[in-house]
Amino acid sequence: MKKSSIFGLIVIAIAIAVIISVYSNSSTYGSFGDASKTNSELHIVGHLNKSKELFYDATKDANYFSFYMKDNKGEERKVIFTGTKPEDFERSEQLVLTGAMVGNEFHASKILMKCPSKYTQDKIEVTEVKAKQASI
Amino acid sequence: MDTVFKGEHLLPGQIGQFFIVLSFGAALLSCISYYFATTEDAGKQDSVWQKLGRIGFFVNTAAILGIGTCLFYLIYKHYFEYHYAWAYTSRSLPIYYIISAFWNGQEGGFLLWLFWQSVLGIVLIFRAKSWERPVMTVIALSQVMLATMVLGVEVLGQRIGSSPFLLLRQSMEAPIFSNPNYLEFIKDGQGMVPSLQNYWMIIHPPTLFLGFASMVVPFAYAIAGLWQKKYKDWVQPAIPYTLFACMILGTGVVMGSFWAYESLNFGGFWAWDPVENASIFPWITLVAAVHVLVVYKNTGHSYFTATFLVLISFVLVWYSSFLNRSGILGDTSVHSFTDLGMFWQLVIGIMLFLILSVALLVRRWKELPITKKDEETYSREFWMFVGAVFLSLSCFHLLVVTSVPVWNAMFKTKIAPPSDIIKHYNVIQSSFVLVITLLTGFTQFLKYKKTDVTRFFITTGIYLLFAALVTALIVYATGVYKLNIVFVLVMCGSVYSVIANAKVLADAFKGKFKLAGSAVAHIGFGLLMIGALISAGTSSVISINNTGEGFSQDFAKEQNPRENITVYRNQPLKMGDYMVTYIGDSISSPNHFFKINYKKTDASGKVTDEFTLKPKVQVNKGQLASSPDTRHYLLHDLYTHITMTNAITATEGGSENADAAHDADNDDKNYDAPVAHEVAPGDTIRYRDGYIVLKALSKETKVQNIPLTDSDVAIGADLEVVSNGNKYSARPVYMIKNGNVFDFARKVDDAGLKLRFSKVIPETKKVEIMVFQQPESKKKFVVMKAIQFPYINFFWAGTIIMVIGFFLSILRRNKELKTV
Repeated sequence: MKKSSIFGLIVIAIAIAVIISVYSNSSTYGSFGDASKTNSELHIVGHLNKSKELFYDATKDANYFSFYMKDNKGEERKVIFTGTKPEDFERSEQLVLTGAMVGNEFHASKILMKCPSKYTQDKIEVTEVKAKQASI
Repeated sequence: MDTVFKGEHLLPGQIGQFFIVLSFGAALLSCISYYFATTEDAGKQDSVWQKLGRIGFFVNTAAILGIGTCLFYLIYKHYFEYHYAWAYTSRSLPIYYIISAFWNGQEGGFLLWLFWQSVLGIVLIFRAKSWERPVMTVIALSQVMLATMVLGVEVLGQRIGSSPFLLLRQSMEAPIFSNPNYLEFIKDGQGMVPSLQNYWMIIHPPTLFLGFASMVVPFAYAIAGLWQKKYKDWVQPAIPYTLFACMILGTGVVMGSFWAYESLNFGGFWAWDPVENASIFPWITLVAAVHVLVVYKNTGHSYFTATFLVLISFVLVWYSSFLNRSGILGDTSVHSFTDLGMFWQLVIGIMLFLILSVALLVRRWKELPITKKDEETYSREFWMFVGAVFLSLSCFHLLVVTSVPVWNAMFKTKIAPPSDIIKHYNVIQSSFVLVITLLTGFTQFLKYKKTDVTRFFITTGIYLLFAALVTALIVYATGVYKLNIVFVLVMCGSVYSVIANAKVLADAFKGKFKLAGSAVAHIGFGLLMIGALISAGTSSVISINNTGEGFSQDFAKEQNPRENITVYRNQPLKMGDYMVTYIGDSISSPNHFFKINYKKTDASGKVTDEFTLKPKVQVNKGQLASSPDTRHYLLHDLYTHITMTNAITATEGGSENADAAHDADNDDKNYDAPVAHEVAPGDTIRYRDGYIVLKALSKETKVQNIPLTDSDVAIGADLEVVSNGNKYSARPVYMIKNGNVFDFARKVDDAGLKLRFSKVIPETKKVEIMVFQQPESKKKFVVMKAIQFPYINFFWAGTIIMVIGFFLSILRRNKELKTV
């Protein structure tokens, strides 16, 4: 066999290995229901229940933040995040949590919030305009 | 619409829109003319088509400058009837940020790209000589494609591109726009997001876009080579441009990384965010391409790989703009743009260049100068080729993971990225880097064509042994040995690469100077990896906090250590080796700086190191954005970042909730129940954080704006407050006026105190002082995170050295071009 064919085979093998390792490492988007059935971490997309309490008190514990999130199937759970409350959390329109269930609570290691106001100002702008009109 | 709107300045926008259409038309004309100049006038010295092509391109460039001028004019004039001006600027924005507002929006990014591409086109018109016609056809084609992105014209009910000259009332629906006087109500723009108000915003995007734009040049040469069947000739002139693109794009990416490290709160220099990853895809493949281009030039091997990598790099530029701008990364990235309705247009952009490349390769496949003979195993070209392939594999991995949302959209799957994605990237990418650094090391000892095998193994072995020894030392000293073995091996590879290339550099100084460029670039890359490994691998959070109330035992066990620490104003706190104190604030809108004092003392209590960091929080319309501050040492950095605070008042930054400010009547609610003390001058009152001394009672006290008659009395109590080692003075006043008793409390905000002089007790010659203390929760505090990054300077220094290496290589390849 020619050296280049051997090398080609090695490259293909590595490429396949990469795909397999990514696939086996990849997590899934799920619901709280899925999360309670498994021990591994997964991603849950949902939105903040703004009517329930957001708890964060830096004077008691600077690394404890809890809130209630409804996942896309409508199931609601208490979520605990070991860190400070992210800025503008209340304004978020969508949350993507990474973490696992511990008992009845979901312990999030990562929160990605979609808060369209920060980098692109297009979406909340409409309300801004109305507010200005009303105040003048 | 029939309404006539008052006060709008439509002319600059119309001129601008005209220039956009003109630039599109001129680019199209230039592309077609150059095409015919290449095909119809082939071999002719004097070509009308070529002249037309040039004119088209010059007009295109002029039109782009015109667009820029118009856009700048309306931003500068604060014409908020234009969406672009309204969305990204405000009247209070300083002039230097007005310049950067230009590329704040996606349209501006495309304009910047168009601008650089036209500059490069003009350079090529003057420099490309016989290559001008085919190369410029491709560049003009790319200009056409880019121009459609900002066109903003409706064709068959479908809006093509997004114009920066869109009016506010066209960009959104709101009842206000039915009012002809609507502009009277729009007094100011939205302003630039505070975290973008940074000098990096001025230089990072232009550099990055110059990098992206310059990728078109090697692409154009490769296409021209295939098209004109001049398979060999295009390589040499393309090499300097390829190096240039690598240099600029690399600089641009690292600038972004430095920006993130210095002033955004990513907590590091690289976060593997999809947007970051996307920007290095084309860089990696083009660096690989440079290597095989050089191989081809020197030995005639690897032709296909070189062409393929150059072509794919440019396709990847388009793919990365698609990822960033189509909104597809919404669930995985923190800072991709939202879709401007150009999803399919961006896909067309990718497909245009992909199909062009594939079609040409397929058509010319049989004619391509692909060598049938294998490279020698002990030859430089073989291992450079292997290196290029491994670079491509590394890019392949990045691409597969970053594109997870794309796979989901294509195959209707619901895969999420790996949950510990940082670790995933670090381990797998490090494995590739290990191979690449080793290759950049030992390939230096190989010669093109054939090498003396025994000698090669001896030198390689000696250097590898030496590198292993140095690595052992570094790994032990920095604590890298505690990490995954892959990182230790990468360290070894990087050290090896630095040492081997240092030898080449030493030889270069002895006379073989032309080799200096690659040696310097490799040394830079090695140092960059060493710095990245140590600082990312051994960075330590020093704001460890285990004092939380422990909401549940399990929680504490599982999640320790916690990384945020609460620091009350003027209350020193031990944090790692430091004593930290939040000593005050300084406000210069929109920035609210927190002064955090760090003190390090030795065993005897002598202060060995003291400094004050000023991390800031920016307030903008009720939104807060936090930026860290970093103390730089030669060998490590100390990074401090505010994650939360109660010290920012709602009135800052022009928030509308101004009425939530202070309300005197309710003021007492901000304090714990007062404690009354009866004291005589000289007595001391103790309280939670220190003590208060009544120095004296002074009768000649005046209270502002209150005239006193002879029958009135006003007495001030001179108090000295000592709180946590700091001294303050306060003078609350007791007053009898017209028979009524008043008292004027004084606040010592820094100590969280309010003091009242509430009573005079003549019998005991004492007075009553009421001490109001703020409860912990009402005291000002910051919650912060502090991280130590060791040896991060290697990372930055490595980058700079690598850029210098690229620059030296450009000089060398340019010289070769002239001598040929």
